Amino acid sequence: MIASKLEFKSPKDIEEAVRFYREFQGEAVYLSGGTDLVPRMKLGLEKPKAVIDLKRISPLTTVEDQADWIRIGALARIFDLKQNELIQDFFPALEASLEATSCESLQMRGTIGGNLLQNSRCLFYNQSEFWRRSKGFCLKMGGERCNAVPGAKTCFANYCSDNAPGLSTLSAELECTGPDGVRWLNLEDLYTDKADKPFNLRPGEILTAILVPKKRTAGGYKKLRVRGAIDYPLLGVAFSFVDGTGKLAVGAVGPKPYVVEMKKPPQDTIGEAVKAVLKQVRPVGNTVLDPDYRKRMISVLAAKLVNKVMEGVK
Amino acid sequence: MDRKYTVVGTRMTRTDSLAKVTGRATFTADLKLPRMLCAKILRSPHPHARILNIDTSRALALPGVKAVVTAADAHGVKWGVFKYTQDHPMIAIDKVRYVGEDVAGVAAVDEETAQEALDLIQVDYEPLSAVFDPDEAMKEGAPLIHEQYTNNINVHVHIDVGDVDEAFAKAHLVREDTFHAAGEAYSTLEPYAVVASYVNGFLDLWVPNAGPHVRAKALSNLLKIPLNKVRVRHINVGGHFGSRSEVSPGDLVTSLLSIKSGCPVKLVLTREENATCTRQIHDIQATIKTGVKKDGTITAKEFRVVYDGGAYSSTGPIAASIPYYVYEEAYRFTNVRYDGYRVITNKGIRGMYGAHGRAFLVGNEMQLDMIARELGMDPMEIRLKNGLNVGEETATKSSIISGGLEEPIRQAAERAGWKEKRAALHEGEGIGMGCVAIMCGFPMGFRSGSACYVKLNDDGQATIVTGICDTGMGNESMAIQIASEILGIPVEDINLVNADTEVTNLDPGAYSQAASFVGGNAVKRACEEAKRQILSIATAKMNHPVEDLDLKDRMVVSKTDPSKSMPLRWVVREAFFQGKPIAATGAYMPKIDFQREWIKNPYGQMAGTYSFGCSVAEVTVDKETGQIRIPHFVAAHDCGNPINTMAVEGQIEGSVQQAGVAVLTEETRWSEGRLLNADLLEYKVPLACDMPEIEPVIVRSNDPEGPFGAKEGGLTTRMNAYSAVACAAHNALGVVLNEFPLTPDRVLKALDAAKGGGKL
Repeated sequence: MIASKLEFKSPKDIEEAVRFYREFQGEAVYLSGGTDLVPRMKLGLEKPKAVIDLKRISPLTTVEDQADWIRIGALARIFDLKQNELIQDFFPALEASLEATSCESLQMRGTIGGNLLQNSRCLFYNQSEFWRRSKGFCLKMGGERCNAVPGAKTCFANYCSDNAPGLSTLSAELECTGPDGVRWLNLEDLYTDKADKPFNLRPGEILTAILVPKKRTAGGYKKLRVRGAIDYPLLGVAFSFVDGTGKLAVGAVGPKPYVVEMKKPPQDTIGEAVKAVLKQVRPVGNTVLDPDYRKRMISVLAAKLVNKVMEGVK
Repeated sequence: MDRKYTVVGTRMTRTDSLAKVTGRATFTADLKLPRMLCAKILRSPHPHARILNIDTSRALALPGVKAVVTAADAHGVKWGVFKYTQDHPMIAIDKVRYVGEDVAGVAAVDEETAQEALDLIQVDYEPLSAVFDPDEAMKEGAPLIHEQYTNNINVHVHIDVGDVDEAFAKAHLVREDTFHAAGEAYSTLEPYAVVASYVNGFLDLWVPNAGPHVRAKALSNLLKIPLNKVRVRHINVGGHFGSRSEVSPGDLVTSLLSIKSGCPVKLVLTREENATCTRQIHDIQATIKTGVKKDGTITAKEFRVVYDGGAYSSTGPIAASIPYYVYEEAYRFTNVRYDGYRVITNKGIRGMYGAHGRAFLVGNEMQLDMIARELGMDPMEIRLKNGLNVGEETATKSSIISGGLEEPIRQAAERAGWKEKRAALHEGEGIGMGCVAIMCGFPMGFRSGSACYVKLNDDGQATIVTGICDTGMGNESMAIQIASEILGIPVEDINLVNADTEVTNLDPGAYSQAASFVGGNAVKRACEEAKRQILSIATAKMNHPVEDLDLKDRMVVSKTDPSKSMPLRWVVREAFFQGKPIAATGAYMPKIDFQREWIKNPYGQMAGTYSFGCSVAEVTVDKETGQIRIPHFVAAHDCGNPINTMAVEGQIEGSVQQAGVAVLTEETRWSEGRLLNADLLEYKVPLACDMPEIEPVIVRSNDPEGPFGAKEGGLTTRMNAYSAVACAAHNALGVVLNEFPLTPDRVLKALDAAKGGGKL
């Protein structure tokens, strides 16, 4: 599929990037590694007038120890991050999810910021323009009905970032820079809870950094997928144990990760935490594998993960 | 390695490997011809609809558009593999029958213009009720997709041998089970592409194909152009697996565009179009009933199999028969009844496949294991007891001239440590066996044979000209290797011209597992005749008895006196002087019964010979998640005698991926006639990290007819690997697994069903 015509801009710093955004009056998109944007463009899901490439802005790629925080540049590549000693030493849940992301060749291309800001997915949505026209546009495309769940009035697309659940368990914060300046928000506040438009980003905002409280943690990530590499998660379960408290996050079943603070000790309160998640999630038949199975695996993977991590803590 | 041969039997680097791994090999989409236009196809958005009107005027008016074609530009000829399955016009005339069907074609100066032109073609459709499930399609009152197929039944294959009902009545134990497997995608790495160039009355076509001669014949009929004026050219092919053997709508549409525009035209399909609009693989539901004696001898078999064929016939009766045949070729059936129904539905067209029939084949093997358990027998023993041997006949009267099932079973079992492993399984572990036999060739009328020409150049190098087709498996290298062996010259001295209908003679193509056995035999015979010509000239020139002469290392040599030799090129030049240049023909027609027909007369010698294979898989199953891992896989394949050992092993390894691991992951997912997983992300082709450790075992039965004793090079693994894995999973879990692929959700469903009182 060929993408529609576009202008390609390569700014040298953030200010120039935002300036380009203003120039195209909002009909521009930012490009990181391109592993989400380019397939979307090829399917005709995204037809920007301009693409603003952030990859020349090197300060966005660094990882810095800032005493109370580890600052992760949003343009840091997944592959580089997973080998970073600070990440490995402090945030094993994140290291595990970075390792589980896609496959190594795509990890070398994709960035952590891009991974967090990937658009939500659905088998009935991530299709070519021919397919979608012949079927009829769905809610996420601005149409009248859901093609995955007949009669549904809300969108059921899944947010499939492997790294968002882990970062949620680490109480990460985001730094965004846009036309109106810089702001900080909790990772949890990024999500609208609406699968058709998943993110609370202001027009022109660039995710510039992820800030994680610098604390020693135990943790891990379990990913459900059919094959051993490449595939997006059909379910992602992350757990971190920080300051004596366990936090569980479940992703890829809905428009955001579902985060639960676990009662102590975590290995004894898994059932309760899972129950809290199950109350909120509603997987449907818009992925490969049965939705009932994916729902069932939440408790299976959570139990395996929490027990394994807590065993290491003792 | 066979020490009596120089080149045959070695682990030779294939002659095409370097070009392919360095990206230098040319494929159809790489071709550039002067004035070449870019084509795009307008496709039906409806699964079933009448075409009321097509208005192409606005598309024609777009600057840069050089031609637009519809069915009105063709001759209304419908194509079919058989005369009685001629149902496919290639470009829709009055009706569309699947989402993606070709309705119009555009040729323009570039891709963007062609795409824009498609949007300007106005088609008025009257949508009709569609049907997507074969059982629904066969019911009274279901929408009729083709006038001539009552109840949407495309073909019904019926085979009846002995007295099945009496045999069941007398059997010690009878079991009936039903198995269902989802359809699959070929996922050839090279998507379909075609370049058509119509100049001065000649149509040249480059297209990845598995048999240029049948392609040319089909186009000659469709376009009403004389056969000699349709030239299908040689081109590299990036994978086939059964998807490239038939003429494609793209072949016709692109040819029409070239004829109309007066320019060469190239069409390259997207991955989505390749998955939906070329060929797919049948979903299959198989009900299998087996009766046995107390000692495990199979006395009765009854099959009812429904194949979801999609919107047109394609190979029709072949697809609806093959799973049965590869099974009857492996085991002794004295009483058997088979009813195979290929059903038309409003989905993409289903064709033949190297790993075809997984529901049927796995079902039979798993059921055999369940019967064995009830009788207290080892699954290996029951297979040895019922496996066919040399000298026996299949149920439909084909004689086995080499091999038999016993050797592959014994060798696979020994390499895998079958008995020891079975006795020492831990929780969640399983080991399973799958067997099958493969026919080397089908009856294809006068196209069942092959012919080869060879000429010697005055420097002593050779050119061989053969219809043998290579779609990635190494057939070209095989032909060169055979020639090298006979002519005593190295591989680099041999040029190959193949699979070009202007030059090469008929050959079955890369289809029906005949390339080594039939095509290779023709090459061997041509080279032997050339050798005879060489030696008859040499004997006088060297003044040495002809019986003592041989060809080796570019020389004519004495077998007994090493001092007596002469460069081959001297003899070749002498031959030119004498007006008798070394130029020879060889042909081979397998000894088959040409009266045998898929529907009307499914009895008689089907193929010249059969290969046999047994695979053993070890699995571990996580009972909480249902996920299956395959740590180890042994595949024993009787190829008679390997011409290139490494190539045979490569076929075995690829087969383990395409069938053995794929039985856990591969399925096409549909929603009302629309394929949900057309791309390589959501269609789960196994990756390197999903593969087991593989041990290929080459069994040598030295076929009396095959060239150097060779039979086909690895298809048994592709048709028994899924059985081995599924039987291993069944062994690990102790429950029937009837739904494929064995994705973890299906595994848990089967475990739940068994807990809830389901049958074991």
